[in-house]
Amino acid sequence: MIIVPPALLYASLLMGRFPVSPLDVAHILLAQIFPMAPDWPKSAEIIVVQIRLPRAIMAMCVGAGLSISGAAYQGMFRNPLVSTDILGVTAASGFGAAVAILLSRNALQMQLIAFAFGLAGVMLTYLIARVSRTTPVLMLVLSGIIVASFFSACLSGTKYVADPDSKLPAITYWLLGSLNAASITALSTALPPIIVGSAGLLLVRWKLNVLAMGDEEARALGLRTEWVKGAIIVCTTLITAAAVSVCGMVGWVGLVIPHIGRMLVGPDHRTLLPATLSIGACFLLVVDDIARTATAGEIPLGILTAVIGAPFFAYLLRKTRGSWQ
Amino acid sequence: MRVGSLKPLLCAVALSGIAAAALAQPRSSAPTAAGVPAPATRQIVDAAGRTVTIPLQVNRVADPWPANNAMVLMLGGADKLVATSVQARNQPWLRKLYPRIDRVPAAFNAAGEANIETLIGARPDVILMAYGGALPRWLDAVTAYHLPVVMMPNDSLEGLKTVARMTGEVLGERESQAAAEYIRYFDDNIRRITQITNKLPASERPKVLHTASAGILTVDGRRSVIDDWINIAGGVNAADVAGLGRPVSMEQVAAWNPDVIIVGTAPNQQNRRAILDDPRWREIKAVRDGKVFANPSGAYLWDRHSAEAALQVLWAAKLLHPTLFADLDVKRETRRFYARFFHHALSDSELASIMNATAP
Repeated sequence: MIIVPPALLYASLLMGRFPVSPLDVAHILLAQIFPMAPDWPKSAEIIVVQIRLPRAIMAMCVGAGLSISGAAYQGMFRNPLVSTDILGVTAASGFGAAVAILLSRNALQMQLIAFAFGLAGVMLTYLIARVSRTTPVLMLVLSGIIVASFFSACLSGTKYVADPDSKLPAITYWLLGSLNAASITALSTALPPIIVGSAGLLLVRWKLNVLAMGDEEARALGLRTEWVKGAIIVCTTLITAAAVSVCGMVGWVGLVIPHIGRMLVGPDHRTLLPATLSIGACFLLVVDDIARTATAGEIPLGILTAVIGAPFFAYLLRKTRGSWQ
Repeated sequence: MRVGSLKPLLCAVALSGIAAAALAQPRSSAPTAAGVPAPATRQIVDAAGRTVTIPLQVNRVADPWPANNAMVLMLGGADKLVATSVQARNQPWLRKLYPRIDRVPAAFNAAGEANIETLIGARPDVILMAYGGALPRWLDAVTAYHLPVVMMPNDSLEGLKTVARMTGEVLGERESQAAAEYIRYFDDNIRRITQITNKLPASERPKVLHTASAGILTVDGRRSVIDDWINIAGGVNAADVAGLGRPVSMEQVAAWNPDVIIVGTAPNQQNRRAILDDPRWREIKAVRDGKVFANPSGAYLWDRHSAEAALQVLWAAKLLHPTLFADLDVKRETRRFYARFFHHALSDSELASIMNATAP
């Protein structure tokens, strides 16, 4: 679980539509740390350092972030069907991004607008769900549905008014998910929220075990449930909003990777969360390698995550016969 | 007593139903019964292979296709427009050349869906549509009102001539003549370019990448109007994918390593800037050589299915082969074109706005 992600990362850097020899890749990577006389083409260096590396790191961080968020939410809501978009963050971020496309904003502005909308959407959900200083799970879920449907409708509205020659395809492809926007600039703005959020979730992971027993029991055991819930919501929202803002809507990962984690290490959140982090990173990295290398065009991530993930999940499901629950 | 009081009401309802049926009946047969000849019609075969019957005299046209709104204007039939789309009304140069477009009801949305009631209320004689392989879903609804729908091709530069001819034919005699004049001009321009570019060997044809949007990287591939004008202008499309606006990865662009990049899609200049500023594009040949250009845009985007495609081939040829076309003055040709076909004398700043694809 610790060795596989870096190994896959290196393997991913060797793959691509642009021919770069494995030796050159190794040299270029070493040259970033140790001073070396460049004996490789400048274009190869840009491919490896500016294009492949940021994209692979982005894939790993987004995959890891969405998976750990999904695992945390499934524990907190005590429901295995919950995924990261339950509180409306995906729909709200998606709407923000679509607005940015409509207004012809550049990539960075688009990312920031999508991120801000994602945070605002969840804040709205939280305010609607708040009842006399507590936020019951049912209230949260229902307000999440309200906010998500509202922003989904707004999102459809932007598609309705978008120019079919230019803006509409851009919005459509963006919604299907793609890591093509990954660059060093995009990394520098999207990674901090994902890392902070994931670290936060790892810190509270043992409290998740208590929370998963239910609000009443958790309170009886002396857990300040409102604080823990608030912290989890803040962390997952930071992660998901940052992920959606940079690569669009990537479904499936946040819902299914936690289950794969449970099959492998069991339901204890203390081990489950680090495990999903690693599995999610590997999964999205591999999927994105296929997305960018299989054809001359770019295959949208949203299509591949399920097309590749579903048979794999089915296989695991049959093999374990659902016994991990 | 109660039942009795309902009786007259029921009778009235029944009677009104019969009356309505009676009134509806003669509506279609009355004119012939009275000896008035049926309205004269003619037939046109459209891009979907349907034979469509349209009135002999067409005075009212519905046309949601933004590029074709400019075509209708160019052919002199814009005053016949009775319904259009929001996207057509939002074209800055179309608004400038034909301010009335703002008051033409927008009966259609971006996806070609129609508000049937607005459309029927506009009482068009004919509805003009772009044919993308499927007939509009609302076709049956408008056919019930005897509103003919004429589908026009939308897939190649050759198809553009068909669009000009069909649009002229639908609109009337005068517009048909304007279309014939335009098609002659169009063919002359193509011939002028191809008699030079046809002789170019593959090695002298620069690889051209035409991007459709920058934020989400999409490019225009083979089998499209874009591919057609790149070939005519003496280039070869770098994007080895099929169709318009296809998403591709950054690395694939690097692997294609285009010699020239042409940035389509508003805001062209801003999207061009984004490419020049992005370190990932830095080592691509076109960027290194400073050959990244914004596509001009006028009454419609020059690079798409627009009347100005006749100018696009000149502009692209001069761009790709400046020495071969040293005597070709694209700006002068552009002035002439707008004066001759849009009856608008371009000022210097207006010319610059078209060449730079900024709003007038």
